[in-house]
Amino acid sequence: MATIRVIYENGSPERVIEFDPAEAPFQHDGQPGSVLDVLLGHGIHLEHACGGNCACTTCHVIVKQGLNKLSEASEQEEDMLDRAPGLTPTSRLGCQAVIEDPDADIVVLVPRYTINQISESREG
Amino acid sequence: MERPIYRARVERIFDHCADTRSLFLRTISGRLPPYSPGMFVSITIPLAQEVRVRPYTIATSPEDGEPFELCFNLVPNGPGAAWMFERRVGDLLDFTGPFGAFTIEHPPEREMVFIAEETAIAPIRPMIRRALSQPVVHPVHLLYAAQRPEHLLYRNELESLSKAHPRFGFELLVIEHDSLYQRLLEEVERRWVARDKDRSRHFFVCGIGPGVLKLRDVLRQAGYERRAVRYEQW
Repeated sequence: MATIRVIYENGSPERVIEFDPAEAPFQHDGQPGSVLDVLLGHGIHLEHACGGNCACTTCHVIVKQGLNKLSEASEQEEDMLDRAPGLTPTSRLGCQAVIEDPDADIVVLVPRYTINQISESREG
Repeated sequence: MERPIYRARVERIFDHCADTRSLFLRTISGRLPPYSPGMFVSITIPLAQEVRVRPYTIATSPEDGEPFELCFNLVPNGPGAAWMFERRVGDLLDFTGPFGAFTIEHPPEREMVFIAEETAIAPIRPMIRRALSQPVVHPVHLLYAAQRPEHLLYRNELESLSKAHPRFGFELLVIEHDSLYQRLLEEVERRWVARDKDRSRHFFVCGIGPGVLKLRDVLRQAGYERRAVRYEQW
């Protein structure tokens, strides 16, 4: 079974999920088997303002462990991540990062700020 | 971070055609936060089995204030769109946002090309208006395609903008579905790749499906800067 541990930068309690990637999709939003799909399908909220369609950065996560167990980022995801507040070299969009390895141990940090609302960025 | 949820009332409904509608909304709890042209709001859609969030682009400009307009079409088998089409004047909707990275806050001081398909004109419309509000002289183009003429929206407004701003030109294309993006690719290559070596232009592309990504790739591979080719794929 794969596991994903979710750490919240805002101090909310951590969550750990065990799941079988082969059972994806778990719900409707994001790529099947993505971090977003797994979390939402197991009752853990991760914001996804665009419905998991790679059109915002609200599902931005920082991968602390298991980056090499995730699908490769597409150019579209990279383009969107360019605009994520607090971008790091291990940042991914939760709706696009797919966990395929059945034995993966993934740890992600949900940043405090994940959005590109105008109050936080004037870039257009 | 707790996200504020806003409530808005449907103030007016406008049918562009049988399957394309605009809702005009006015917030009744608080005020619509500031936003950049091109941004969207996330509407809470209470379906029978679950609650879902769906993004809808704000088709009006920030300068227009409220009510703000959401323009969308009736997607076959799309539960969100069906629910939106069932809204009536006076109905209440909950939303978060606005959000989005496909925006123009400060138009680039360069020639700008906007490319849109059907209701994907929704973010492009306020972006063009923002571009034309700036005191610059660079040309602004719109290439706007649809499968049927009635799906080319805001035509009168585009005409008015073109008359008021000589540097703005637009072209409307009616193209069969299977050929739509192939035709757009051909137009883009003809006008902005093969015609000259100018690679200073900025592009803003919005549409449905992988054709948007192909347009992106053609432009970037032709030498346009990566960040000068902006796009939103629905």
